[in-house]
Amino acid sequence: MEAPVVDDRLLHQRVVGGDETALGELYDRFAALIFGLALRVTRDRVIAEDIAQEVFVTFWERPLAFDPERGSLRAWLATIAHRRSVDHVRAEERRKVSVLGPRVYERPADMEDTVLAADEAIRVREAVAALPGGLREVIELAYYRGRTYRQVAGELGIPEGTAKSRIRSGLRKLAEALGGEQP
Amino acid sequence: MSLERLYLDTLAEATDQVPVSRARLLAAATSRRRPAPDVPAWAAPYAGRVAALDALLGSVERWDQVIVEGWTLQELVAHLAAKDSLLAASLGAPVLGPPIGGNDGLVRTRELQDFERERQPGETRRFWRDQADALCARLPEADPDRVIDPGGTPFAVRDHLLARMLETWIHTDDAATFNGVRLPHPVAKHIHPTADFCARLVPWTMLLSGFEAAARSVRLTLTGPGGGDWHIPLDVSRVAEAYQGESTDVALSCDVVGFCFLLGGRGEGFAWDVTGDGGLAADLLTAAPALSGP
Repeated sequence: MEAPVVDDRLLHQRVVGGDETALGELYDRFAALIFGLALRVTRDRVIAEDIAQEVFVTFWERPLAFDPERGSLRAWLATIAHRRSVDHVRAEERRKVSVLGPRVYERPADMEDTVLAADEAIRVREAVAALPGGLREVIELAYYRGRTYRQVAGELGIPEGTAKSRIRSGLRKLAEALGGEQP
Repeated sequence: MSLERLYLDTLAEATDQVPVSRARLLAAATSRRRPAPDVPAWAAPYAGRVAALDALLGSVERWDQVIVEGWTLQELVAHLAAKDSLLAASLGAPVLGPPIGGNDGLVRTRELQDFERERQPGETRRFWRDQADALCARLPEADPDRVIDPGGTPFAVRDHLLARMLETWIHTDDAATFNGVRLPHPVAKHIHPTADFCARLVPWTMLLSGFEAAARSVRLTLTGPGGGDWHIPLDVSRVAEAYQGESTDVALSCDVVGFCFLLGGRGEGFAWDVTGDGGLAADLLTAAPALSGP
């Protein structure tokens, strides 16, 4: 789940101050997510690995391009990963067009520059709607209505730990529905 | 936004293998931007600011417009390299560029500004960073308590490094502000010794400004990460230390970063809470930037 803003600020301060152990911690926390995101878009493990590495190196090289006042570090890294992945897919398409000729190769629908493209967003919404009632309820409260764990627990009259584990089960079900990591 | 957060949380839940090698990543990253120089703990606040300025210099493009003191970014970076080189010379570390013509900050600054003028920004950045790294490489052998006087200022070696930290920090902030970049603060454990150094300078600023206050004393409470509470006798033969309930003529309280910047000559809009002798507080505020040079 998303780390609190204060962690983002501290990691950012440390990376700006040239502390490479902070980059290592960032990698431990987000590498799987960033790799998974790049893999979903590119459908190529080797390319996805290169993109994931480039995302972290970019943050290290120009850490002042990130501003913690304007959003979470995770979302910022995900946006770069998505943009790089889309760039890669587009370059591949152009290459195929030039090899096969424009009439033979039909390019897929245009990809968007947001992390969550419109068609993928529809699939996420559908997957949430298809969750079993109890899980759907907690996911909708936590994400569509922006409730904290504690608020979710309070509204449903269940312990906070139960709310937390139910949300995680919901996320795992969604991950299965979306096809998991493997393209 | 909420759907995007859900999507990222879902992906994080789905992926548990991390295929990218951590060692490969760190090697690639540090080859593109050097990490903070490896130094003894007492010099870490300076090493952190060197890395922060390097990060800023890697993201700005306007090197030829005047930022502060009538200097462009290129001239400002040459000025920092000049001050670093005088300290390097006092410690027996290599001095890069033209030989030092005189043990004076402004003389050396002009030498290096002339030297850098015809060069590309990237070369100036590398020159400054190489000099900072050469200085840092010498520090493991240096005695932090030895008093030396580069540029005619006698301080212990550890305090010279804190002075270099403060100046590098302030000029990085000058350049960041000019370029519309928000510079995050140093970590608390780097701010604290710098604030302590600034607190110890306060009696000297009063002396240099001609205020007769040697018999008086201040309680200084600095708030925010890296802050603390100091008892400062305004007598230069005594030393500011952690506050332990002493009775003082005035108690002052303000943000720790604001206080460091005040001593560094960036006191615009600065204010502190005053309890006690308001006249003494006013003199302290007037005197505070007395040791800040360009």
